[in-house]
Amino acid sequence: MTATQLETDMSPPDRRGAAFKDMLSRLAKSAGLALVVGLLIFVFVNWADGFTGKFNLFNLTRNLSVAAVVGFGMMVVLALGHMNLALGSTALASVMIMGWVMKVAALPVPVAVGCGLAVGTFLGLINGWLIVKTKLHSFIITLATASMFLGAVLIVFRAGPISDLPREFTGISKTRYFGWVSGMLLITAVTGVVLGVMYKFTTLGRQMLATGANADAAELSGIPVNRAILIAHGLSGFLAALAGVMFTARQGSALLSTGEDWLLASFLAPLLGGTLLAGGYVSVLGAFLGAMLVGILQNGLVLIGVPDFWVEFVLGLTLLATVSLDRLREVISARRGN
Amino acid sequence: MSTPAIKIEHATKRFPGVLALDDAHLELRPGEIHALLGENGAGKSTLIKIITGVHEPTEGTVYVDGQPTVFKSPHDAMGAGIGAVHQERNLIPRFSVAENIMLEATPTRAGQVDYPEMRRQAQHWLAELDLDIDPDLPVHRLSVAQMQLLEIARALSLESKILLLDEPTASITDHEVQVLFTFLRKLKEKGVAILFVSHKLEEVFEICDRVTVLRDGRNACASVPIEELNRDRVVAHMVGRENALSDLGHRAEVDAPVKLELKDVSTVAGHKDINFTARKGEVLGFYGLVGAGRSELARALIGADKMSGGQVLIDGVEAKIPNVQTALRKYRMGYVSEDRKGDGLILAHSVAENIGVTIWHKIARLGGFVSDAMQRAAVGSYVDRLEVKTPSLRQRLGNLSGGNQQKVSVAKWLAAQTEILIIDEPTVGVDIRTKGYLHKLIWEVADTGVTVLVISSDMPEIVAVADRLIVMNEMAVVADLPNTRNYDEMSPRIMDAIVTSSSDYKESA
Repeated sequence: MTATQLETDMSPPDRRGAAFKDMLSRLAKSAGLALVVGLLIFVFVNWADGFTGKFNLFNLTRNLSVAAVVGFGMMVVLALGHMNLALGSTALASVMIMGWVMKVAALPVPVAVGCGLAVGTFLGLINGWLIVKTKLHSFIITLATASMFLGAVLIVFRAGPISDLPREFTGISKTRYFGWVSGMLLITAVTGVVLGVMYKFTTLGRQMLATGANADAAELSGIPVNRAILIAHGLSGFLAALAGVMFTARQGSALLSTGEDWLLASFLAPLLGGTLLAGGYVSVLGAFLGAMLVGILQNGLVLIGVPDFWVEFVLGLTLLATVSLDRLREVISARRGN
Repeated sequence: MSTPAIKIEHATKRFPGVLALDDAHLELRPGEIHALLGENGAGKSTLIKIITGVHEPTEGTVYVDGQPTVFKSPHDAMGAGIGAVHQERNLIPRFSVAENIMLEATPTRAGQVDYPEMRRQAQHWLAELDLDIDPDLPVHRLSVAQMQLLEIARALSLESKILLLDEPTASITDHEVQVLFTFLRKLKEKGVAILFVSHKLEEVFEICDRVTVLRDGRNACASVPIEELNRDRVVAHMVGRENALSDLGHRAEVDAPVKLELKDVSTVAGHKDINFTARKGEVLGFYGLVGAGRSELARALIGADKMSGGQVLIDGVEAKIPNVQTALRKYRMGYVSEDRKGDGLILAHSVAENIGVTIWHKIARLGGFVSDAMQRAAVGSYVDRLEVKTPSLRQRLGNLSGGNQQKVSVAKWLAAQTEILIIDEPTVGVDIRTKGYLHKLIWEVADTGVTVLVISSDMPEIVAVADRLIVMNEMAVVADLPNTRNYDEMSPRIMDAIVTSSSDYKESA
């Protein structure tokens, strides 16, 4: 492309102007989504009975905080241009082992939670290791491990869920601020900030994005590509486990259905937020807003009285509309020459 | 006089912040080969993209066969009989050669792809171009040159009335160029209108009938018969002054300690018994035909591919280089790839990220912390020093011209303070002014004590730049020549080394 050739030498003020423009365009990307979320809130506040009820809002923010972490779990592998279809199974395995440690082995809650998170990280690392060693697509590897993890859990925990988890643990999900904001949102926020800092301000985050944008170029530039892949998948497993722990705290039991229906939402949140499926670009704020959109849509539609299966339909449609719009925007801007 | 096949009047194209074309004109007649020339960023690619329906002009009109026409998409343009070979490769790697050639015109029978017919037709176009490639081979197994020729074969298969060739000869050998030219002359006799974009003026004077030169988006000259021009006039049109190709002059003989030595190196790629030495501050040129194994040797040297035997000595000590990180961090060795889009650069990321990639581990504070500001501070001076033309360090690299992208490729390794720098085809797809600049840069870098290995298929370039020449053929070093920098003297020696070492020659001898 020969699009850009400013003939003037660049003086510092030009660069500052560019910095400002760059920041605006980044914000503008999330602003569109924020606007849609705002619009939805406006609609539901006015037309969905009970939407503004304290308990409903508490429940909504609680679901949303879990959904956002699930979305982060997919986002960190999307950054590589990879996928993690084993997100749900990983969460399941993590919470069942956590439940066992907590209830059967009767070890302290923090130890049990630590075990759960460690299991998730370990399973993620297995995904990463298999991808690096076999050079197969992450889709196929995680499709396989998803079944393996699920199968293994069902074999080991044949007996069923582990219920009546200690109050010390389930209490995580009961804290609320202002009477309606779930305390779990704090965990999500901290996680989001840490991820944001990682991508924006650390060598590791930059290495992951470079790997995602062009793995061959990254390798020839001396980036430890395999290490970046391994760590990203480990992180994805960790986040799956974290989402699982939050989900379990809310349910009060380690359920065998944990993670069963996460797949669509896990892709929806980051992709709505502008993270590229092809890798190389992520938006943490976008993924959070994406999760918000999904959560609010689900909640509001149910309150209005839309049947469950229609909600599912609408979510699928939202994903399709987002990616199509994104594609359209790309095509148009390419013709304009951006 | 016949109606022009394509006529463009008053074409202006504005991109955000950039005026890419400014009232440009072009007239392309049936049965002519028309050269479109200009430096990188002069607007050639934009003009081509307007003709092929990729961009719509902001102002101005495109006439096809005398009729004003607006192309809404590349498909429209193809339907109007316009075939194009773009600079960027547009092949489908996992498809076979035949499938790629016949992609736009796949023969079918009863709604099914007719594979025997497809293979037959593909074979026909391969034969026309004198190409010896198996039509069933997947494209990703071909060399860069073969891919380039395949793109041309594909454009030909459309039997277009108008054919646009954007630097078709950038990575193919002289022999292949001649075959292509023979075929283009045949097409011309059949009345095909051919637009030929090239940075190689020798080729333009050899094959073109008329010349249009763009400079800064405007016509420096429009449709001038080639007889009225000479090389200097064309260069003057392109750069706005006479003789931009400065003579590099002489460089003192390097008498420094040996930095890099290869002893009987063999590789998994098939090299055998490779031996050479390179001194500190020396510019060592690697010449060979495409497929001689130069890039593959470079990849093995920097740890991207495996060696299978022999020794590499750096500063006299045996070096084990299992991966690129070791090459970069321990031995300060860098590689500028010939394939900027494929594995050289990350075009979707910013200029700053692309240079910073080699030094993140060095500039990071505790815990791997690297801010954008730290990165900009670390890379800014290289962007300035190499005169990279970019509106900001945050600019998406893909939006820069080829020459500026190439400067960034070099900048990232200078930033890494490499002591051994391998530059593969330093000036592919780069305009004359930037070419001269890059040559001077190579000397400047070498003057600071860096050992520079330059791989090039451009013989005048390698003779001008290198202190010493390594000639490779069929995965082996066939000559190690001191370079007199006299082209007429060096070129027969180089060709002689290649010819006498070829297996064909040995068989017939």
